[in-house]
Amino acid sequence: MEQVLTSIQKRIATVLEVRNLTESTYVLRFERVGLEFKPGQYIVVGLPGSREKREYSIYSSAVLPYLEILIKEVDTGDVSKKLKRLIPGETVEIEGPFGYFVLDGHKIATNDFLFIASGTGISPFHSFVASYPQLNYTLLHGVRTQNEGYEKDDYDINHHILCTSREDKGNFHGRVTDYIKKHPVDPLTLCYLCGNSEMVDDAYRILEKQGVPPAHLHAEIYF
Amino acid sequence: MKYHLITLGCQMNLSDSERVITVLNDMGLTRTEDEEEASILGIVACSVRQKAIDKVYSRIYKWNKWKRKKPLLTFVSGCILPADKEKFLKTFDIVFHMNEVPALPEMIKQYGIVTPMSLQIATNESNIDSFWKISPKHNSSFEAYIPIQNGCDKFCTFCAVPYTRGREVSRPSEEILTEVRNLVLQGYKSITLLGQNVNSYGFDKNGKEIQFHELLMQIGEFGRTSGKQFWTYFTSPHPRDMNKEVIDVIASYPVLAKQIHLPLQSGDNMVLIHMNRKYKLEEYREVVHYVREKLPTATLFTDIITGFTGETEEQFMNTLRAVTEFKYNMSFTAIYSPRPGAVSSRWIDDVPHQVKKQRLHILNDEVEKSSFEYNKSLMGKTLPVLVINKDRKGEYTMGLTEGKINVRFLSSNESMIGKFVNVKITSAAEFSIAGEPVLAEILEESK
Repeated sequence: MEQVLTSIQKRIATVLEVRNLTESTYVLRFERVGLEFKPGQYIVVGLPGSREKREYSIYSSAVLPYLEILIKEVDTGDVSKKLKRLIPGETVEIEGPFGYFVLDGHKIATNDFLFIASGTGISPFHSFVASYPQLNYTLLHGVRTQNEGYEKDDYDINHHILCTSREDKGNFHGRVTDYIKKHPVDPLTLCYLCGNSEMVDDAYRILEKQGVPPAHLHAEIYF
Repeated sequence: MKYHLITLGCQMNLSDSERVITVLNDMGLTRTEDEEEASILGIVACSVRQKAIDKVYSRIYKWNKWKRKKPLLTFVSGCILPADKEKFLKTFDIVFHMNEVPALPEMIKQYGIVTPMSLQIATNESNIDSFWKISPKHNSSFEAYIPIQNGCDKFCTFCAVPYTRGREVSRPSEEILTEVRNLVLQGYKSITLLGQNVNSYGFDKNGKEIQFHELLMQIGEFGRTSGKQFWTYFTSPHPRDMNKEVIDVIASYPVLAKQIHLPLQSGDNMVLIHMNRKYKLEEYREVVHYVREKLPTATLFTDIITGFTGETEEQFMNTLRAVTEFKYNMSFTAIYSPRPGAVSSRWIDDVPHQVKKQRLHILNDEVEKSSFEYNKSLMGKTLPVLVINKDRKGEYTMGLTEGKINVRFLSSNESMIGKFVNVKITSAAEFSIAGEPVLAEILEESK
């Protein structure tokens, strides 16, 4: 299995930018403060000294001098609301990186990848694509409406398929699971799934039925 | 002045208690098993288990009633969720994170005052080094548990440990090795290295500490050069980090016990994803195959949860098939119950209790079969056994094989307790074997 990086060191990082993508979704950029990570890993983020913290996949490239996370503000979530109110110059406390949802370094240049995301589950894939320019990938992003296709210009237009379930304005009208049912996946493709539990469950089963072996299926659920 | 200490939880909590006992004894206090004669009443608990927390509340309710009649000091520590800590602050005199044990004497001295120390939200790295430096008062003269790591960063959805004990921190290897050497030289025969994910030992130090297989290798080398006979166990490893190096090292040294505890939790990949276990059944299978290849005599133990949120009949059947395939000697099978603070506690606990229970029985029956088969295969063999105690009636002497199979044999020789004895196995049951001690019974004194 791929070795990952991990650290329990708590770091205080200065916020550099809060970038609103939709009314409820934003990108928080802050100093990297020496944190090394593998694309796909996550960090634990909160306000300095606060007990309330949440895990967020790193959205930015591993080669940039700052870190970004993609956050959807949720009604019941204290952390996502507090982080949204931050302004440049204020600080966050971060821990990590953690997690194993990473690409096998030996396969990056040789294999085809299928990334399936729902909502902010696109975050680790954004980091993959930004960190590994040589990746041969297809990204399916499942959202409700077209405006939730977060920063889609960051992806190769030929490799990014926005699946919109509530309006016919993306590349495909329907869920990502509808898309893969209509476009069966080559079992040799390495498939990475990230997002809500329902999407991951359904997509996993469909891909299994299509003959994708478990070794080619990787999933991370956003809880 | 006497104190009474209750431990509610796992081996890690027991190990924590041993250090609390050292600190209290060093203050000149005397431990008593009779809570009514104690002036200080303490609990080391695991607040990730609801049953343990229920017991804490029941106990403190009683103790607080006693406080109306006599002066008492109460404290609680262990794996405590932040929410529970806040509640405990209202009912106990002192509430502290286990890392703060070195400061317990100061807190007791300030009894009656809510100290900044006891109100502080513990950070994982705060006092963990000084906590580890406390020499524990071991409950046994031949079996010892040594913490090698604190906390967990695997974030399994059914578990609250990352939120109670914080992130993984590895104890300095030199301290661990010194403790192992000292215990073995004192005559300890069974050493268990403890941690939430022992085989990710050293990962948090990013190259500045040896890794788990190297730690085992150094213990193995100590065993080889000292000529001492002892068995080294570890619990729990995480299948994700169970690499071939660990298994190869175990195969190379006799003092590294041929017993592997490899928590499966579920045999269904989708359930494993929901549990955030970070391995698939196929990867787990590879580890088991390698264990069977390199350690053919090893026993295999596991942990399984039945009825995890959303577990379907088909998914349970995948677990049953895995249990049949892996032929465990023992499974610590638990019915799923949401643990406060764990991610899964936010999900609907949708598998009926009766179904969970039924699944547990089915799995246990399957493990019973494979364990019985293994035990029967031991008949006629002569095995070294670490003698643990006499049975309740005093008729039999009880011990454990290297693979932690319970053994009983007829003997009135109490001097065997804590020593290795060769036992010829004459009969087998589902989870135990029986035999007769062979001549030249006590083995290790010549070592």
